[in-house]
Amino acid sequence: MTTLQTSTPAATSAVRRGRLTYLAGRIVEYAVVLFVALTLNFLLPRALPGGPLKLFGSPEALARLTAEERAQIATEYGFGDPIWVQFVDYLKSVVTLDLGTSLSDGRTVTAAISDALPWTLLLVGTSIVFTTLIGITLGVIGGLRRREGKGAFTLVAAIVVDSIPQFWLAMLLIVWFAVTWQVAPTFGATGPDGVTIAGLAQHLVLPVATLTITGIGYIFMYTRSSMLNVLTSEPVAHAHARGIPRGRLVRRHVLRPALLPVHTLIMLDIGFLAAGAIVVETVFAYPGLGRLTFGAIAARDYPLMQGTFLVLTLMVVLMNLIADLTYPLLDPRVRSTAGGDR
Amino acid sequence: MSTDTAPLVVTGTSRRRDLLGRQGRIGAVLLTLIVGAAAYGYFVMPDDAGKRRVGLPYESPSAAHPLGTDDLGRDLLEQLLVGAGTSLTLAFMVAAVTTLLAAIIGGLAGIGPRWMSATIMRGIDVMLVLPELVLFILAATFLGQGFGIRAVILSLILWPVPARVLRAASLTAWSRAHVEASRAMGAGQGWLLFRHASYLLGPLLVPVFVRTAMRVIIYDATLSFLGLGDPTAPSWGTTLYWVQVNGVFLSDAWLWWAGPPGLAITLTVVALALVGTSIEDRLNPNLQESR
Repeated sequence: MTTLQTSTPAATSAVRRGRLTYLAGRIVEYAVVLFVALTLNFLLPRALPGGPLKLFGSPEALARLTAEERAQIATEYGFGDPIWVQFVDYLKSVVTLDLGTSLSDGRTVTAAISDALPWTLLLVGTSIVFTTLIGITLGVIGGLRRREGKGAFTLVAAIVVDSIPQFWLAMLLIVWFAVTWQVAPTFGATGPDGVTIAGLAQHLVLPVATLTITGIGYIFMYTRSSMLNVLTSEPVAHAHARGIPRGRLVRRHVLRPALLPVHTLIMLDIGFLAAGAIVVETVFAYPGLGRLTFGAIAARDYPLMQGTFLVLTLMVVLMNLIADLTYPLLDPRVRSTAGGDR
Repeated sequence: MSTDTAPLVVTGTSRRRDLLGRQGRIGAVLLTLIVGAAAYGYFVMPDDAGKRRVGLPYESPSAAHPLGTDDLGRDLLEQLLVGAGTSLTLAFMVAAVTTLLAAIIGGLAGIGPRWMSATIMRGIDVMLVLPELVLFILAATFLGQGFGIRAVILSLILWPVPARVLRAASLTAWSRAHVEASRAMGAGQGWLLFRHASYLLGPLLVPVFVRTAMRVIIYDATLSFLGLGDPTAPSWGTTLYWVQVNGVFLSDAWLWWAGPPGLAITLTVVALALVGTSIEDRLNPNLQESR
């Protein structure tokens, strides 16, 4: 059993103080990470070949500009200013969500991203639900039954599933389900008759299947090894020695500590899945953030690239934060020991 | 550690070790076959294999071309074998460099002075917030797609995760009783590392190497598939890129055109994973749990 080691009033107040310092420390850490992420994003178009003017036009259009026109644009948009003034301007533009205009289709970057983001959230959200449910269930079973031979088989199966490249699986699914059997559409997110629930679901099937199948292996292996760690731990051995029946032992003493690290892993995964969906969204022409990002890079659409990159990074930071904030709710030990090294 | 104290609460039994040993052997055999195929493609086949036209476009499999030909009349089997060489060379090269980087940086973060450890860990935190795939796509788009550049990019982006693993391991090793005893008697850091901790940390480099190689193979194939591959060198990902561009899966040709390279990627990664997990499983479990 996971018992709190501290119970005296003095110790409790020390714990509380420790928790505050811990929280403050984490907040500072996040502020630093956020600041660095913003700085990198600010530097991104300035570091890539071509100089900051490329934020305002295609390379061909820029090549036609005279030196005077260039100088005029530079003063107008503040490229002559000291770099810190530019940085403050950039921070202002981020806060006001005024991220410039896409070079490839003339929409504002904010509009392009807010069009794409819901699709990615739908795609990634659906697949993370399936991946988590299936992966954790199999992982718990695999951890409990590791002596029965089946455990080894599922482990190999997980390794195989984990090794399939996403884009290849997507192709195979297209060949079988869309071309041979013609049961699922391969392209886009909605059917010809606009947004209908059936149409949305149909278009989600293959991309979600791809993300889910390629994602299960990792979560399975992680859950399984976490289960094994807890099953071999001293508190569980002690509980077993006290004669607690197997079912109750698993439910009350094993599952919760075993699933804690899995929770963290999944939170971090969600943050990265949006970026990881680039491949799937490209193969299935799904109009989400990943496809937008890839399109922006391929078209050298710097403002859009900067905007999507910012959103992708912020998603990871946000999920890190949520994982951190929800962890103490699940793990009483963190509430008492005030963190420590990650 | 007794093995039969309880039906549920078990420590590593001999039976499980044997089982993973068998898996590891299967992986090793598979890997040897793939390396052999790669060596055949590199040493035996002509230099322009996979790039030269040897038949008509879109030929079905025949005795002369067991996997048929692509849209330019190039032999798909040749491309598969040459691709094995490219993929494995890149994977092993990057894995070696990344493991070295991770060992140095992770080691310094683990046993170096406090300020250095803190700096490195915050740096790793920041690196881990950036989406790897996007970084690869950015770098491949703007810095170029040649073999050398790709190797450098992959190495520079992949080190943080293994560095963190190795830091945790070195911290654990550093707090072992025999290391502390030796330190108490005045042993220097270098002596502690080589005489007392190297046997704990050394074996950990193998799974780190294998893991990195797996990721390199997948990332390299993904980039090539997205059209960001080296156009002058045949590779598994590039072949699949042309499958996608030519819409090959609308015909029967996908079976011999898209099937083999994808299967090759999967099998290579599986082989590496089997070898990696079996080695990892034989290591001291105390070092692994503390991540």
